[in-house]
Amino acid sequence: MKLDISKHIFRAYDIRGLYEKDISPEIFYKIGLAAGNYVKNVIHGKQIAVGNDIRQSSIPLVHSFIAGVSATGIDIIYTGNTAFGQTLFKGWELKQDLIAFVTASHLPPEWNGIKFYYGDGVGLPEKELMKIRDFTLNDDFDAVGWEKVGGVEVVDPKTSYKNFFKSKFKFNKKLKVAIDCGGGSTTLSAPDVFDAVGLDTVHVFCEPDPSFSKRPSEPKPENLTVLVDAVKKNNCDFGVAFDGDGDRSVIVDNTGKVLSADETGIILGKYGLAEKKGTIIVNVECSKAVKEQLEPLGFKVKQIPVGHTFLTLEAKLEKSPLGIESSGHLILPEYFLFDDALVVPLKIAEILDNNEKTLGELAAEIPTYPTKKEVIDCDDQIKFDVVERLKVELTKEFENINSMDGVRVDLKTGWVLIRSSNTSPIIRLTTEADSEKILGQLTTQFMDKTEEIIEKIKGESK
Amino acid sequence: MTKLFGTNGIRGVVNEDMNCELALRIGKAWGTYLKKTVTRPKVAIGTDARLSNHMLKNAISAGLLSTGCDVSDVGLVPTPALQYAVKEKDFDSGVVITASHNPPQFNGIKGVASDGTEFSKDVEEDIEKIYFEQNYSLAEWKSVGKLSTWDDAVDFYINGILSNVDVDLIKKQQYHIVLDCGNGAGCVATPILLEKLGCKITELYCKLDGTFPGHNSEPVPENLGDLIQKVTEVGADLGAAQDGDADRAIFIDENGTYIWGDKTLALAAKYITKEKKGGTTITPVTTSSCFDDVVAENDAEVIHTMVGSPFVARTMIEKNAVFGGEENGGFIFPEMQYCRDSAMAIAKIMEIMARENKALSELIEEIPIYEVHKTKMPCPNDKKEIVMKELAEQTKDDSDVTKVDETDGVKLYVENGWVLMRPSGTEPIFRVYSESKSKDRSEELALKYKRLAEEIINNQ
Repeated sequence: MKLDISKHIFRAYDIRGLYEKDISPEIFYKIGLAAGNYVKNVIHGKQIAVGNDIRQSSIPLVHSFIAGVSATGIDIIYTGNTAFGQTLFKGWELKQDLIAFVTASHLPPEWNGIKFYYGDGVGLPEKELMKIRDFTLNDDFDAVGWEKVGGVEVVDPKTSYKNFFKSKFKFNKKLKVAIDCGGGSTTLSAPDVFDAVGLDTVHVFCEPDPSFSKRPSEPKPENLTVLVDAVKKNNCDFGVAFDGDGDRSVIVDNTGKVLSADETGIILGKYGLAEKKGTIIVNVECSKAVKEQLEPLGFKVKQIPVGHTFLTLEAKLEKSPLGIESSGHLILPEYFLFDDALVVPLKIAEILDNNEKTLGELAAEIPTYPTKKEVIDCDDQIKFDVVERLKVELTKEFENINSMDGVRVDLKTGWVLIRSSNTSPIIRLTTEADSEKILGQLTTQFMDKTEEIIEKIKGESK
Repeated sequence: MTKLFGTNGIRGVVNEDMNCELALRIGKAWGTYLKKTVTRPKVAIGTDARLSNHMLKNAISAGLLSTGCDVSDVGLVPTPALQYAVKEKDFDSGVVITASHNPPQFNGIKGVASDGTEFSKDVEEDIEKIYFEQNYSLAEWKSVGKLSTWDDAVDFYINGILSNVDVDLIKKQQYHIVLDCGNGAGCVATPILLEKLGCKITELYCKLDGTFPGHNSEPVPENLGDLIQKVTEVGADLGAAQDGDADRAIFIDENGTYIWGDKTLALAAKYITKEKKGGTTITPVTTSSCFDDVVAENDAEVIHTMVGSPFVARTMIEKNAVFGGEENGGFIFPEMQYCRDSAMAIAKIMEIMARENKALSELIEEIPIYEVHKTKMPCPNDKKEIVMKELAEQTKDDSDVTKVDETDGVKLYVENGWVLMRPSGTEPIFRVYSESKSKDRSEELALKYKRLAEEIINNQ
């Protein structure tokens, strides 16, 4: 039977929607059929690992998804209710062809969705995800005969996941860490793993709370006040907060300062990867401090478009030691490629174990530059044209232009990035500069330029 | 409105008419139905050994969960083990993914009520109505059901049987039994039960395999050649075969003789009514008179019901019966539960053998022999009802007929036998069954009343 499925649930990096509004068990059954078909006929594989976060609606969704996959004849390893990292780890360890995780990441509890990775830990690029979208929307799949129906094996990943980290991390110091799981899926992994590797822990919201009633699942600084207080009150060496499913973490230093992803990335590169030269992958939104701090140490820094699937893919191609996404996805491929947020605090603990300085002292050595994010209203019909026109015009005016994702202009004293939003009728403008004064100048200059082009294009289309 | 539920739940060929969309929506309809009386229903779900068991279980579970039912997955179990769990534990309903004895390309969905009995027709019709109207009561994100697993259903079931038979008595005999599970769900429970009953077990097709490589899972003589041979080869005391979901059992005596289900049913009825010194027994109108005869010896009563184990089970509850069952190997022991239970039947038959200290063939010899004749005739579906009415009308003054029973079809009791004319539920035919101690008489009865029925059909 054809279902009325909105194509808007298929985003660039994952599938998302409101439960029983945009997505439902029936739609997830179709997505399961489509994913099975993708494995069978596009990547010519046989097996999918499937897991889900602790959202209540994940249970009916994951089981209907599994039914769809097995109807196509693809076998399933089901990991159950887990953190993002546990399912990804098991799928990676068992060399599955595809790994699917039912989650809406940091979104509010009434949302849900699914994301896909290959067995090597690389996220599915948009182009591939759109193949699954098209199979779903066009009912382009076949159910197999009874003797070929896929089997389902339930495998609990928790012990092997924990043992993996136990084999990788040993600490001489007694380090104390405050963990804020926000009631999300890392409640099933982080406390257990941190104990196992010998860290002293202070728990903040470490009981499963699928409605995220204690704090919103997005780990923004304003949502982390309880963690910051816990770090200070308990004299912790540092604190860590996770998002709803556990693919992003935010580090709080011992003084209670919330570090940005760029700062955390710089510390990881500077103190954690001294032996490892190579190319560090950063997205176009990352601070110029990353390049300034890490290139003198012998690393190369390579910019990529925004989106964590690019991060994992590029890191694999470049055999990079580190990937930094300004939104908080950080990867350390010495362990695995996928963006399991647990490796970040463990690596920070390792750095502190080998260093006399506190995390606050290490963070203080990193320069921070003022940044500004502006939003310019622009109709959906022309927003992409506006950015294209800007690329052309700015290339004439400036030397250092990067147009892989929107258009970024690098100047001696700062940089500007102009991107159209994929989902809203807006254009985003991000600026970073050496001083507040320059920041103001740059922002005004490029906002004016953008608005001028919007008016021009509006005029032309009349 | 199309019908989904047949005599034994919903059945179909996997990924053709029995597919996940159907299962998912049946789950929703089922949950919607349960929520009419219970705010937060608890449902147990189990499967037989078929290859599509996980797929369909996942789909129907998703449907149930989406309406706000809590689902407990009991895994791969015999159907009666799930029914026992539903009856004894705090469940509002049970789902079994099984196509019983059908070939491996089939699968199905069977419903269990909170008392462990199979769903009644009324409940099935209510669920069908919700399904076809798509009138589901779906839970919002914060109240969808929770899923848990329960691994102890098989142990719980085995212990239930052990508490309902004389274990010491059976153990002393150290029976040698050849067990044929037909690679079905019985594999997970029956060998363990028999070991606890002190039996020496020779296993045949006791490894789970949803392709049923041993033989087709209906325990009819042509499928049990290996079992029959094995019993004589190893010199066992008996052989027992279970169907695909292990609710029915068929026995082989120590000489390798296949025993028809009505004989073992009568054997159990005989000794149970003897032990209880009377009581009421229940069996469908199609069951052989040998059942009635042995029960009568113990001053016990027989009530005949419509064909179908749910009717037998429900009448047993109503009449507080001591035993009941069907001639196809379906035994119902009320002290255990009100559903067909093959493992319990195997234990009970051995208990009778032990108590009487007789070989199975000796016990079966004591059961009266009747000759059965079966035939059929075409009849358009729309004429079935009027034909039945006319049959009853035209035979009520027949001097040969001593009693007319209209429970299911028209059953005429005559001197030295009976004849039953019953419309098929699925095909445009009438089935004619007759029975008498003499083979000729049996055939004569079938022919006589078949002719009468044909006349009525032609005149309509």
